[in-house]
Amino acid sequence: MAVKIKTKYGFIDIDNSVIATVVGGGATSIYGIVGMASRNQIRDNLNGILNRDNYARGVVVRQDDNGVNIEVNIIVGYGTKISEVCRNVQAKVKYNLESMLGLTANAVSVIVQGVRVIGE
Amino acid sequence: MKVTEITATEFQSMIRMGARRLSKNAEFVNSLNVFPVPDGDTGTNMNLTFQSGAKAVLESDSDHVGELAQKLGKGLLMGARGNSGVISSQLFRGFAKNVEKKASLSAQDLADAFAAGVQTAYSAVMKPVEGTILTVAHEGAKAALKAAKSSDDAVVVMDAMVKEARKALANTPNLLPVLKEVGVVDSGGQGLTFIYEGFYEALSGETTAEEYVPSEGEMNEMVSATHHQVAQTKLNVDDIKYGYCTEMMVGLGKGNATEPFNYDTFREHLSHIGDSLLVIADDEVVKVHVHTEHPGQVYRYGQQFGSLDKIKIDNMRLQQESIIDGASEIVQEAKPLADFGVVAICSGEGLADLFKSMGVTYVLSGGQTMNPSTNDILDAIKAAHAKSVIVLPNNSNIFMAADEAAKEANVDVAIVKSKTVNQGLTSMLSYNPERSLAENAAEMTESLADVVSGQITQSIRNSKIGGLEIHDGDWIGLINGDIKIANKDQLQCTIDMVGAMLDEDSEIVTLIYGSEASESEAEEVAGAIEDKFPDIEVEIHEGDQPLYPFLVSVE
Repeated sequence: MAVKIKTKYGFIDIDNSVIATVVGGGATSIYGIVGMASRNQIRDNLNGILNRDNYARGVVVRQDDNGVNIEVNIIVGYGTKISEVCRNVQAKVKYNLESMLGLTANAVSVIVQGVRVIGE
Repeated sequence: MKVTEITATEFQSMIRMGARRLSKNAEFVNSLNVFPVPDGDTGTNMNLTFQSGAKAVLESDSDHVGELAQKLGKGLLMGARGNSGVISSQLFRGFAKNVEKKASLSAQDLADAFAAGVQTAYSAVMKPVEGTILTVAHEGAKAALKAAKSSDDAVVVMDAMVKEARKALANTPNLLPVLKEVGVVDSGGQGLTFIYEGFYEALSGETTAEEYVPSEGEMNEMVSATHHQVAQTKLNVDDIKYGYCTEMMVGLGKGNATEPFNYDTFREHLSHIGDSLLVIADDEVVKVHVHTEHPGQVYRYGQQFGSLDKIKIDNMRLQQESIIDGASEIVQEAKPLADFGVVAICSGEGLADLFKSMGVTYVLSGGQTMNPSTNDILDAIKAAHAKSVIVLPNNSNIFMAADEAAKEANVDVAIVKSKTVNQGLTSMLSYNPERSLAENAAEMTESLADVVSGQITQSIRNSKIGGLEIHDGDWIGLINGDIKIANKDQLQCTIDMVGAMLDEDSEIVTLIYGSEASESEAEEVAGAIEDKFPDIEVEIHEGDQPLYPFLVSVE
């Protein structure tokens, strides 16, 4: 699955792994996010934090006529205001997609898969 | 004044002053905001976050600093808004945890608590970005720890912390390229520095300037920073709600000033006219940057408060389009609207040139088998760039789409229902830009009846129509849309068709040869016609049209 953009010169195909990396890179730079989680922990058998190479497993991209719908699975740090951190992720992901790929995200859904307690 | 013990009174006073100083300067912090999401609300977010924390502290009647710090931490957490708000809440959560059991704080306790706050804050981020609020907090706390080693005075500790925080803040553009690019310091870091400055004021009893007054150079930098943000986010021209980037500087009280200046009222008023609003004021001048659809209103409003200086309007839609489409579009858009425009729909470059030579402003490619959509026609009407537009569909299949487009268009549109290219061309003879749209439409529509249109094309299947037996591959001649002639030979078919089209009133035959016929063939046909009907004049044009080797009009 890939996102297709039509231009007057032809098509641009953006693979989902590209989108996943842009989304993952944006999300993990947000304060309060300690990592990306697998969207399907049982199937992937990855019970931990995804490393940069497999962000794609934590990001779901669905395309429709008007743009893309993104789902981000994250792990947050304990003690932060989780709702606000997620809102920041949404804003950052939307901004990154628009500025880097020219994609408008119709929805950026954030799924908090875990909370890490660090240094308490 | 020396403070060796921070009791609940001092702590509350610190929080009050910190909150106050941040809130006074929130707008300035907003103007610095370029990172990570340029939305210009870091100041607002931090302010709301810190107000929530301050409220919790000031409403408490506890005389235990540890308890007050807990209240602060909780209030910040509850009220956390935006990235910087979340970070601030973490900084003070760590702070609170560290002083939990302390009824009052020594200078060393204070420094330790700040350091613990920084540590907590860093632990909740995957990859700390240096050059942000985190860096400012980190450097500040380091300086506080160092100062606490040589002094038991909390004022000295806080002073060292503020100085180092300012230094770290000034260095943020060197750490973060995005800041350097627009020439600003980190907004979150600036917000935190304001809070620290408030703390210092509360402890030292010294009051520094309440509001940060930027120099003119800084003002300009901030304006360009704001502009930069907007340019980045608005990728699509259609997304630009307010098209004119408008700037002005008002010399307050000068010129024909009729109103006294009040920052809040002023800003409030402008916020209804546009967005990306930035208002920076001191006693003498106010500088405004706003994106609006009505620059005139902004200037008129500004004039009430003083004389205007350094006004500037940029059309951001054109700027954006020029990035997307190259410069050619600008010329088109920048031209004033013409009184009249004519859109003709046809295919083939030659036909397009013919139409243009007769005064058509815009040729939309289309015709049989490739009917343009309502939207295509609407775009063509826009491209004609005129107050009134006449559309020549040149094909009955396009009438409906053209009618729809006429309804949708925001200029006056008349559809002259030309069924064929020949009719369209003939109707252009009656076009007179000096007349009104209604008159033109009536005259042109009337002229459609004067022309007999003939088309030569090839049959793609066997059929039987009106007593004519047609075989696949036969050439057929259509007169006014009806099949009248069929022949295996293309030229003979054409000659026969023209013959059938002529009557005693006919004067001129116009022969347009398409991409599947040549000029010599056209001349051959013309010769044959002139031989048979010596009174008739034959004109030949190259049309390039596909599918129809010959289009014939008889007038």
